[in-house]
Amino acid sequence: MARISIDPVTRIEGHLRIDVEVDGGAVQKAWACCTMWRGIETILRGRDPREGWVFAQRFCGVCTTVHAMASVRAVEDALQLEIPANAQYIRNLILIAHALHDHIVHFYHLSALDWVDITTIPKADPARAASIADGVSSWPGNSHHELEAVQNKVKGLIASGQLGIFSHGYWGHPAMRLSPEMNLILFAHYLQALEFQRKACQVVGILGGKTPHIQNLAVGGVMNAINLNSLATMNMDRLGTLQSLLQELIPFVQQAYFVDACLLAASYPEWFRYGRGVANYLSVPDLPVDAKATKFDLPGGVIMEGNLGSVRPIKDWRDEPIRAAVAEDITHAWYQGQGALPPWKGKTDPYYTDFRDEGKYTWVKAPRYNGHPMQVGPLSNILVGYSSGHPLTRKWADAAFKRISSVHGLNVTPEDLQSTMGRYLARAIRSAMLSELALQHLQLLSSNILKGDDTTYNPPQFPAHEVEGVGLHEAPRGTLSHWVVIDKAAFSNYQAVVPTTWNASPRDQKGVSGPYESSLLANPVADPEKPLEVLRTVHSFDPCMACACHTLDVSGREIAQTKVL
Amino acid sequence: MSESTGVAERHICVIGLGNVLLGDDGFGPLVVERFRCEYADHADVEVLDLGTPGLDLAPYLHGKHLAVIVDTVKSEGEPGTLCHLGETDFGDRRAALHLTGHDPGLAQCLAQLRLAGRAPSKVIVVGVVPQSCALGSSFSAPVFAAVSTAVEKIASLLREHDVPCQRRAVQKPPNLWWETVLRTGMPT
Repeated sequence: MARISIDPVTRIEGHLRIDVEVDGGAVQKAWACCTMWRGIETILRGRDPREGWVFAQRFCGVCTTVHAMASVRAVEDALQLEIPANAQYIRNLILIAHALHDHIVHFYHLSALDWVDITTIPKADPARAASIADGVSSWPGNSHHELEAVQNKVKGLIASGQLGIFSHGYWGHPAMRLSPEMNLILFAHYLQALEFQRKACQVVGILGGKTPHIQNLAVGGVMNAINLNSLATMNMDRLGTLQSLLQELIPFVQQAYFVDACLLAASYPEWFRYGRGVANYLSVPDLPVDAKATKFDLPGGVIMEGNLGSVRPIKDWRDEPIRAAVAEDITHAWYQGQGALPPWKGKTDPYYTDFRDEGKYTWVKAPRYNGHPMQVGPLSNILVGYSSGHPLTRKWADAAFKRISSVHGLNVTPEDLQSTMGRYLARAIRSAMLSELALQHLQLLSSNILKGDDTTYNPPQFPAHEVEGVGLHEAPRGTLSHWVVIDKAAFSNYQAVVPTTWNASPRDQKGVSGPYESSLLANPVADPEKPLEVLRTVHSFDPCMACACHTLDVSGREIAQTKVL
Repeated sequence: MSESTGVAERHICVIGLGNVLLGDDGFGPLVVERFRCEYADHADVEVLDLGTPGLDLAPYLHGKHLAVIVDTVKSEGEPGTLCHLGETDFGDRRAALHLTGHDPGLAQCLAQLRLAGRAPSKVIVVGVVPQSCALGSSFSAPVFAAVSTAVEKIASLLREHDVPCQRRAVQKPPNLWWETVLRTGMPT
């Protein structure tokens, strides 16, 4: 029995530590530990609900936009405040662009190198690589010339002996199995992705006034002025720029990212057998298409115990069951007390002990849905959408299955998606769907403006009595909810139940593990000194520990430790 | 792949990094906001408070000629000590095993961009040694005292790179919205 502790010591403190016990080449027990306290909710108590979103978007340095959005939605829900259709579309476009940016960065920059061994790239034949890539995609960035140029860069990097950021890779690991040509294609797209994620940022910047911290939100709508005759406001010119940016971004998503994810899935078929974990799935509807938010382009629902034949639909944000079902258990988290409380009654009183296997061992609370752990994220989105017959989900999921089967001869079903590789594939399917919806929502905005509607904001009115609200958003990493209690126009409680809290959840009072922990069970580990397989499964969730203290370490000390205990 | 969308590109960026809700960690955002308010706008200079972007820093550095970054640094020296770092001071030393999206930072972004041929020609970090980065706290006295010097440092670095940095005739009031937290402290 070997105990492995993977603990990146980053910045001032770390964020995520994973401990596993390995026996017989597979994980037997797992613990997910968030090593940093996010006490920011306490800052919001007593504040003006109209400015809560400005603080909430500093919850996290990466997912700023989603917290801003959930915060205004929570206050609007509490006040039962409708927002204008233009505001819905502008918010939707920001959310789509943000999600596309996030998914591209996750696939290429944060996780591709778990699967792609760049040290084999010098051995690739660029002409053969170009012909392989041409055979599966019409992406123009796959030319012989382009691939050869990338290969030369990698050769130069390796020859310099300074792999730099790439020196941490588990190069030559037996679980790395792509051909040098495939590695070259994927790494070429890794570099191109830097260009295309910028375009997504520019879309957010144009609509949000600034990125990464958008400035255009307001409780009641958005602050974008619309006037087709003014140069300074949202006008046809601005809409045209958005359209060009999206038209450059969409082919990268559909012809490079989506194709690459299918390629990866087909090359590592065994990863459809590992990493299933918690098979309860939660997804909330998003991208409302009307002012009242009664119809949505992305569906919501709940699936329990992997039963894909049965979905409880969540039709809209007023859904009563979800309000009653969510509670956060602190039995194994570093907070005072035991048991579970619903978010509106939630407390955040820290109580630190050491890491105790059987006791408290993380700063993350354990959210539960009617007492059950839930998996959230693109996989939940796709399973809920596919099972409820959502046409856009079916279109892109079936396109992925068909591509993998016709090009690579492997049969993948929705059932198989419940796995480590399924989470990668689901994220790519979701991205393709979002890329298609991007232009549709731009069209909705343009036509509504052309009809003569230039309203973007309805002013909020605060009642004298106490009100509760929840703001739901299906963020890139999954279901995000902000729960607020407002009394006399000030927050009296504020709790955020974030996607990574669902997925990185510790055990609860019944000893039941959350998705990260249970997905690691039976995960293979060929070499305990190089637990690449553990990273693959953890990275498949796109972990993001809301944080973020941030100090540049110039002392050059090692910032990550893998300990075999 | 070329720019074809008509979004104006500026070649120099002044970037503040840090979390404004964590005491001295807000140094970068405070300094760049003060710089924006004390010095006149320049068509080729972008002044940005980027918070704590991790790998999402890359799009803002992409294709720049010069990047001046203000951040807290873990380094020798008393709190409030300012240092001035070039790329070789933090470049390729970090072997990074990352679990979450927050772990990769400046060094990783630069290495990526360099491979893609779009790294800034020059990166300068103006760093301060923090005293305390506690949630909701105010700036410590020594770090707050270093703010004006850091603002002047940005101006002199830009002038060295042929940007005529001129003080505004009338200063703009800085938008330090997070100061309400610092003024009122942590609610109980």
